[in-house]
Amino acid sequence: MAAEEGVVIACHTNEEFDAQMAKAAGKLVIIDFTASWCGPCRFIAPVFAEYAKKFPGAVFLKVDVDELKEVAEKYAVEAMPTFLYIKDGKEVDKVVGARKEELQSNIVKHIETGSASA
Amino acid sequence: MASSGFEGFEKRLELVFTHAVVGGGGLQHGLRLLPVEALREALDAVQCAVVSAAGNAVFDAYVLSESSLFLYPSRVILKTCGTTRLLRAVPVLLRAAGELGLCLRSCRYSRGSYLFPEAQPFPHADFADEVRYLDGAVPGELRFRRSAVMPSRGSHRWHVYSASTSDGGDAPQPTVIEVCMTELDRTLAAQFYQRPGDARTSHAIGDEMTAASGIGGVNPRSLVCAYAFAPCGYSMNGLDGARYATVHVTPEDGHSYASYECAGDADSDSDAGALASIRRAVAAFRPAVVSVSVCYTGAVLLLPNTTDAASSVWAAVARALEPLGLACQSEAADDLPGAGTVTYQTFTAAACSDRHENP
Repeated sequence: MAAEEGVVIACHTNEEFDAQMAKAAGKLVIIDFTASWCGPCRFIAPVFAEYAKKFPGAVFLKVDVDELKEVAEKYAVEAMPTFLYIKDGKEVDKVVGARKEELQSNIVKHIETGSASA
Repeated sequence: MASSGFEGFEKRLELVFTHAVVGGGGLQHGLRLLPVEALREALDAVQCAVVSAAGNAVFDAYVLSESSLFLYPSRVILKTCGTTRLLRAVPVLLRAAGELGLCLRSCRYSRGSYLFPEAQPFPHADFADEVRYLDGAVPGELRFRRSAVMPSRGSHRWHVYSASTSDGGDAPQPTVIEVCMTELDRTLAAQFYQRPGDARTSHAIGDEMTAASGIGGVNPRSLVCAYAFAPCGYSMNGLDGARYATVHVTPEDGHSYASYECAGDADSDSDAGALASIRRAVAAFRPAVVSVSVCYTGAVLLLPNTTDAASSVWAAVARALEPLGLACQSEAADDLPGAGTVTYQTFTAAACSDRHENP
């Protein structure tokens, strides 16, 4: 568990994705929906990795929409990158596009509400 | 007028590529596979940077510190304002595309008349220099070349350059509409200033400007990526399937400027929709002066009572803008080998003309 803190976890199968979501119960999860052919995804990837390091209390997952089509469809991902913020299985926020500042301000917002309600 | 102010008028470059070798890998995604470093190098040469970006299944759209960049698998559209050195991107993009196995098929460059021409760096201050630069930068295979300066009744001109490997007969290209607006309504322009002390992100403030100005309603189906600059100014890209739209605003009084650009889908229904969208975009700014340039291949939409495609486009544009109290002052058209036909029209608020009184 501790070994996975601070890094972005790439999920390559539906089972891996489900397992990571189950393990993250109670924590803020941010899923980066990405594609190998999406230029904006390549621009934001290092920023997402940096935030994973900066906010070890949250879980950072990466889903390739070509690899995990069902997951992308389940969350109705149409544009890339899309960042979904999930807490206790519920979608609490969403950022569409490589919006660096918003990506971070949403993490801060939802981590704070988490500790306040704990 | 002050000799220093922000130059709103953009320079616009469109490069269309073809696959050098058929059957290689990565053909499907083409230019979308350009490495981040190559894009940065091109934008550094131009002197601008990416501030926001998003892609859909068809293309990638970047909001830049100075306007926008769109990347389709075989097409790049780079539009930059201010004193950027847009044409410096050409050699960088050609080299990077070459590394992906793509070679240039056509090049089109266009711009209006600058508000502050003396502030422009070489070769942008003089259209003749820009043409010489482009002629030197594009490969010799693009042997069908033409440049034109299209007149209006006033001092505004529309500058176009085109180079192509063929003089037409290729698959129809998407129709592109470029709208340039000056002397914006002051109250409407004021919406593009940030409130002092606003702690929200540039994206969030941009989203609010999109909604408040009515720009979000120009194409309600599109995904909008908006960005608000400090202390003022706004940029947005809209993505709707294969179609893009983009709006840029520099609201400073005395040299206020806004632009709207959109592309159709190379079919006449979407061209008609794109032409109709001009009205909603221009209504967000109520400018005193507007120019509209449409570049199309083939017969876009032939309206009743018009004899040729250019008259049809002029009529459709006029019909979109006249209900806003804008009166057409001039019409021009020019044929560019490989790039189709370019029309250029200018409009002024009817209240400014002697013939009409705005009710």
